[in-house]
Amino acid sequence: MQTATDQAAAGAAEATETRRFRVFRYKRGDKAPHFDTFDVPIESRTTLLDAMKWIQLHRDASLMLRHSCYHASCGTCGVRVNGREVLLCVTAVHDLGLEITVEPVANIPVLTDLVVDMEEFYARFPDQHPYVRESEFNAAASTPDGIAAYVRYEDCIECGLCLSACPIPATTDRYVGPAALAAAQRMLEEPRGADVADLLDWADEPDGVWRCHAAFECSEACPSNVNPAARIMALRGALVGGALVIPDRVEEMR
Amino acid sequence: MSQTTSADGLPGLEERAQRGPVLRKGIGVAPSGWFDPRGRAIGSWAFAANRITGLGLVFYLYLHLGVLSILLVGKSGWNDFVALATNIVFLGLDVLLLFGVLFHGLNGVRVALVGTGIVPDRQKALFWAFSVIGTLTLAYGAFRILGRA
Amino acid sequence: MSTTAPAHILIVGGGGTGGALAHDLTLRGLKVTLVDRGEVTSGTTGRHHGLLHSGARYAVGDKESAVECIEENMILRRICPGSFEENDGLFVAIDDEDMEYLEPFLKGCAESGIPTQQLTPSEALALEPNLNPELKAAVRIPDGTMDAMRMPLRFFATAKHNGAKIHPYAEVKDLIVHDRVVSGAVVHDHVTGKDGQLRADIVVNATGPWSERIASMAGVDVPIRPSPGVLLALRGRLCNMVINRLHKSGDGDIVVPQRGLSVVGTSSWTVENPDDLGVPEDHVQRMYDEGAKLIPAVKRVEFRAAWSAARPLIGSRGDEDTGRELSRTFKTFDHKDSDGVEGFVTITGGKGTTLRGMAELCANVICGKLGVEAECRTRETVLLPHTAYYSAA
Repeated sequence: MQTATDQAAAGAAEATETRRFRVFRYKRGDKAPHFDTFDVPIESRTTLLDAMKWIQLHRDASLMLRHSCYHASCGTCGVRVNGREVLLCVTAVHDLGLEITVEPVANIPVLTDLVVDMEEFYARFPDQHPYVRESEFNAAASTPDGIAAYVRYEDCIECGLCLSACPIPATTDRYVGPAALAAAQRMLEEPRGADVADLLDWADEPDGVWRCHAAFECSEACPSNVNPAARIMALRGALVGGALVIPDRVEEMR
Repeated sequence: MSQTTSADGLPGLEERAQRGPVLRKGIGVAPSGWFDPRGRAIGSWAFAANRITGLGLVFYLYLHLGVLSILLVGKSGWNDFVALATNIVFLGLDVLLLFGVLFHGLNGVRVALVGTGIVPDRQKALFWAFSVIGTLTLAYGAFRILGRA
Repeated sequence: MSTTAPAHILIVGGGGTGGALAHDLTLRGLKVTLVDRGEVTSGTTGRHHGLLHSGARYAVGDKESAVECIEENMILRRICPGSFEENDGLFVAIDDEDMEYLEPFLKGCAESGIPTQQLTPSEALALEPNLNPELKAAVRIPDGTMDAMRMPLRFFATAKHNGAKIHPYAEVKDLIVHDRVVSGAVVHDHVTGKDGQLRADIVVNATGPWSERIASMAGVDVPIRPSPGVLLALRGRLCNMVINRLHKSGDGDIVVPQRGLSVVGTSSWTVENPDDLGVPEDHVQRMYDEGAKLIPAVKRVEFRAAWSAARPLIGSRGDEDTGRELSRTFKTFDHKDSDGVEGFVTITGGKGTTLRGMAELCANVICGKLGVEAECRTRETVLLPHTAYYSAA
């Protein structure tokens, strides 16, 4: 775990090395995608996003990628690196090995290069999309006058890494997927005034919760503590007659 | 005011609107591969192994029925089979069968417990716990089976 | 009923300003195309800490900005319901020098229309237990948290569903200029690799810190100083309210909660090339040091990310080097007035919170130029949810 002291030490020990990147390339009209190879100078703190932007700036301005917040909040920079689903902006290059393969996420149509068209990702969600939730942090703290309870955003940053990691879409694109099911479970757990009467029925479809076959890759890939696998299982628990089991909340910060 | 509209447009608008290629998990330029072992966690390996042992057990079932049909042939055929069945290689395969049964059965219990929301958030712990139980049982079973050689 | 086709506006730049402008102009009946060389909000807009600004930071030194902020803050809550963590914020005094700032701060806020509530240290600690226990005073103000990408995305979503054409991954390579009249742009589509032309009655330069680059294609200058700052994200939600240092603008004087993370910001320096900002290590260390004065736990929690974002500050080249002295207000440049070039307008400056207000000002200028009489309706129009951006119009 890197704290402030570790960061200072890392900064002091900067060494410029080079890593080789194999990057997926595809422009509309190409017969087939291909990989381009780039040698990129990196330092201890360089992220994959830094490396991709370096390529864009110094080698190939036509390399397209999605990014926005640079800190794992917007979820736009999801890719597969050496086969693993990660966010470009918070993945350090240093620990990845000498040759690094970067591809778009799986199971969502590719628009160009590393950019996928998220329309099909969002189309899977139920009509109501949970966004703000009650803050579990410092539940014991008082709130100022006029504020009933502290709120915070839902954990899900809609990055699509869970859908990419899931083995089921390779069998059927009709599977609604972990993000959509996790969103439904969150709405049932904390409706906040929304009409959730049909949500369990929505989940109770062959291409809903029952399409999941317990690989758990979604929770493994999630960069934001959503734990979609546990939430899918909680929905199933509710559907087989149990209560809607609530997985453990994230521990409060001390 | 001016009546100019955008007569030219963004090139390739139609191409943008088309559904692009969908990559699947795999190695190399997709969709060539179907199984990609890179970056997979224990849940995926259990998922894959469950299917493999399942196929194995189905195959074994047919094999077993085929073996039982030897009974129809009569005593001599059956005695030949029994002689074969105490061969060390055959007993080794029996141990393999035991592994398949234990894995598929115990993992099945794990999937049932997690998948019906009874213990939704403990899949890794269950995997390791059942691995211990399964390994001990397999060890004892192997000892008993191979002792018959 | 007029039979002329509506004028076509080409907006270059898909940040918050471009999106809000596309929305405003579409509501006024104009035809809008917007292009960005990358994903929308991939420039400065997406990278800020997500503060829904109360304006209090500018209450003493920059009242114009403070008033703009608090007005837009209230409007955004109305037109983007459900898009904010409306937990308010605190300005916290840590030392005696901060305490001297308290009175001018309260006075400045009152004069700018920013509601305040003074709190004792124990009251503040009851609201936010992770605060520095040595704090001397706290003032509550109507800060909030936004998702820096998803809030602007609602403007894009609404504009798109009202007919605007939004084209990310389409880069303006040059402007089409004849006899000092801008009539469109040469655009390279990065999805297909092909070039094309987009004709328009007016081209709007909404590229933020890249404004100079686009302006030079029209042969004009805009006084933009790209002024980056470093931000630091840490694992752990250390506060629910936005925590600010009660002093004049300085480094590392704000902590903003973002889901399960805490973002500490920021610093300030100036650069020439907004594509090559760098992340100075000493600035990152400063975030830890200054942030820890507000919330000591900052130094104990795990690192998540450190990055830079460039503010588009208005000022002429040759101003002070740090960029903090330049105003945070916004301006529209009609280049016919400033440079004798027709058909080209630049909108720049501003803050994430003032995107709608910037767009209103710019849309007024554009409609004035075109002789279009249409009122701004963005103050009352509730925006579509951000997810609508991804569904077909």
